[in-house]
Amino acid sequence: MARVKFLCDVERCIDCSGCVIACKEGNHVPVGVNRRRVITLDQGKPEEKSISVSCMHCADAPCIAVCPVDAIYQRDDGIVLVSKKTCIGCGYCFMACPFGAPQFPSGSVFGARGAMDKCTFCAGGPEETFSQEEKHLYGQNRIAEGKVPLCAGMCATKALLAGDADVVADVYRERVFTRGSGVNAWGWSKAYPRKG
Amino acid sequence: MTNSLNDMRHSKSFIFIGSNPPEAHPVSMQHILHAKEKNNAPIIVVDPRRTKLAAKATDFVRIRPGTDAAFMLGLIHEVIANGWEDKEFIRTRVSGYEELVEVAKAYTPEEVEDITGIPAEQTRHVAKVLATNRPTSLTWCMGGTQHSIGSSIVRTFCLLQLVLGNMGKSGGGTNIFRGHDNVQGSTDMCILSHSLPAYYGLSEGAWKHWCRVWDVEFDWIVSRFKSQEWMHKSGFTLARWYEGVNQEEKIHQYTPIKAMIQWGCGSNSNSQFNKVKQAYDKLDLLVVVDPFPTMAAAACDTDNIYLLPSASQYETSGSVTSTSRQIQWRYKVVDPVHNSRDDYQIMEMLVKKLGFADQFYKNIKEVPEDITRELGSGSLTIGYNGQTPERIKKHMENWHTFDIDTLQAKGGPCNGEYYGMPWPCWTEEHPGTPILYDISKPVAEGGLPFRNRFGVEKTYDSSGRTENQLAAKGVCNPFSEVDGGYPEFSEVVPGTNWKTDLSQETLRAAIARGMAPFGNARARCVVWDFPDQIPIHREPLHSPRPDLIKRYPTYKDKENHYRVDTRFESEQNPDLVKEFPYVITTGRMVEHMGAGAETRSNKYLAELQPDMYAEVNPALANNLGIRDGQMIWIESPEGGKIKVKAFLTERVDDKTIFLPYHFAGVLMGESLIDKYPKGHEPYVVGESGNVVTNYGYDIITQIQATKDGLCKISKA
Repeated sequence: MARVKFLCDVERCIDCSGCVIACKEGNHVPVGVNRRRVITLDQGKPEEKSISVSCMHCADAPCIAVCPVDAIYQRDDGIVLVSKKTCIGCGYCFMACPFGAPQFPSGSVFGARGAMDKCTFCAGGPEETFSQEEKHLYGQNRIAEGKVPLCAGMCATKALLAGDADVVADVYRERVFTRGSGVNAWGWSKAYPRKG
Repeated sequence: MTNSLNDMRHSKSFIFIGSNPPEAHPVSMQHILHAKEKNNAPIIVVDPRRTKLAAKATDFVRIRPGTDAAFMLGLIHEVIANGWEDKEFIRTRVSGYEELVEVAKAYTPEEVEDITGIPAEQTRHVAKVLATNRPTSLTWCMGGTQHSIGSSIVRTFCLLQLVLGNMGKSGGGTNIFRGHDNVQGSTDMCILSHSLPAYYGLSEGAWKHWCRVWDVEFDWIVSRFKSQEWMHKSGFTLARWYEGVNQEEKIHQYTPIKAMIQWGCGSNSNSQFNKVKQAYDKLDLLVVVDPFPTMAAAACDTDNIYLLPSASQYETSGSVTSTSRQIQWRYKVVDPVHNSRDDYQIMEMLVKKLGFADQFYKNIKEVPEDITRELGSGSLTIGYNGQTPERIKKHMENWHTFDIDTLQAKGGPCNGEYYGMPWPCWTEEHPGTPILYDISKPVAEGGLPFRNRFGVEKTYDSSGRTENQLAAKGVCNPFSEVDGGYPEFSEVVPGTNWKTDLSQETLRAAIARGMAPFGNARARCVVWDFPDQIPIHREPLHSPRPDLIKRYPTYKDKENHYRVDTRFESEQNPDLVKEFPYVITTGRMVEHMGAGAETRSNKYLAELQPDMYAEVNPALANNLGIRDGQMIWIESPEGGKIKVKAFLTERVDDKTIFLPYHFAGVLMGESLIDKYPKGHEPYVVGESGNVVTNYGYDIITQIQATKDGLCKISKA
């Protein structure tokens, strides 16, 4: 069984937010709820980098571990989903998530309570596949249609890769080879600092 | 573009100047980054701002706005000084080179540093990178054109590519990115005041050519004008039409402009927008045709305006031309929603009401296919005649058979053709021309030499030297009957030339002989009918450097410039910088498009970019006591002022203010949101940056100088 993953190639991401808009338009996500965001670091400085971030569909997802009502679950292919009908909107998952992925409806200054919403990997939700209810609560189910998530499909520079983790890794590995070395992968020098 | 977006995958280096594709042309970036990764191609970004493209660059060169020509001449100087010029290319395919060398001599890297602010060492470094990584693709956009010397600036870009021998080669070229999918098409149809479609100009011959295409009597067209002389005069331009209404400057027309139709045109892309607003109020009639209410709809104070809701691009079909000169068919996705009509329907109703539908629709029975057929049959100058609707649709249906690197179909029903038949596509058998001026391929297979357009011999004013303008012996496309240069074709069909022979026999005859219909000439460095025959640097009209105004003054004032007087010399005041000390420049953001009527009416795009702002360097802001997010006033020398949020960022240096120009709906501090038709207000309104862009127009094209004005700023 394939295990799905996102990978954002930071050498390719141009901060165009095409992924964000594709996600919002395609899934009719309410304004204020961001299943995906492009984060830019050191904007306007020589070291400027942008990266597109959403739920990473962690293998050992902290959100699942902390959810008091077991609203969050993981499919066999690794996609982490939430049942909006079970969710009580407590926000524990938001505290546990290293990426700020869980989103809540916006409202008054104190925030609004409501079911958590996050990236579904365009795989709908627990309701019947392709049902009106699934579409209304979670958006499209492109995985069931055999398509990649909208964000990756839309990416102009193919920075955002999505799908079977093995295939994603192969695509990225080939790119890194093409670039001449592994050391220009973002974060490499932090992870493996030069000795001496 | 001389080449195509896909062909940029073959580039060995890039130079972008006044172009920021991650914001303006994001899709092109996949090809650029591909070349960066595969070819290890250096990316040199020349811009006043450290843009999103600069984040992907190998070299960022910060330039003072409006000094591009000086930098280019500096690079040319450095290339020649080191003997890096392409001597064989220059000997065989370039004219006026010696005259260029003479002018470039003055632009030493040190002089360039004084003018542009670019360190001399960096100019030397960039020249070396370009010389050692050929071919280079050079790209500019409106950052290169929107200056009072815009026409000179873009010529220096071309000259650099000629000197380096990068023209007519895969991976090289001058690749000017056009906007969304029909900006190139509307340019080709000359939605301009000085030419009939396909760059034929306004001469009597041009009118007669198109009358033959349209199948109407020339005398009937003449009868539509006040008198024949007005048929041959350039009209007002988009940049200054409002002068024809306001008449603050002397106009050269028998009447002021009384009525105006703005069709798919967001008016807040006009500089000095507050004067445009005055003109709206003075017009007897203003008609706005747009899917969304534009700024005109809100800015106009009088009851002289009609809004006609037009359908969007998804609700209609037809042929469109991409930045790479490729023609594609746009299919309708849904019928027009609400009470909107598509542009063809609106035009038809207008034409019928005006009473000349019988003349207008002589060749047009099937809309829009017959429109493509008619415009193609007349546009011989640029070879739009081979792309029939049937061929265009065939390409769309078989797009998967075309190669992503070469654009050529391998097998299948379009075998050998180039995707979208990039113009010129001379005949219905021609595959299209993927790279202009490429002599490595036969003309019948998409090759071309340089066009012979300016005679066969010229004596230059500056040197007194006489030079043959045709290509040297031995330089021509494969299978050419003439070994070397030759003039353009005429009199194949008596009384016509390749541009006016509607039977297209001339085109076929030329190609059968392995030759280009437009001749085989040299690319010229000297343009003898321009005020600067070899382009030179001239200070922006509103310059922050009074000392440089003395050495590099602007032009003399120009009378009757597209029917209105234009100030140059009398406008260039060295003391202006004392009161208006900061340079103001404008540009795009990826979330919004053009004047923004459409994108500011999309809730998700509005959410991503909800505020008009000005980019201010943190050091400058601290000196002026301005904090991030605080409201500031920006004022122009012409009295325009806007109240916007300060966005502190090192993208700009401490002498420059940057404004995005997509916002509208607030005018000089006052919200106009109540003046939009009820229920049709955009989600986001903001001050129009173009209220504070300065006076200033190019001497040839009259394009507005929005990239190098002056301003002052203060806390609001």
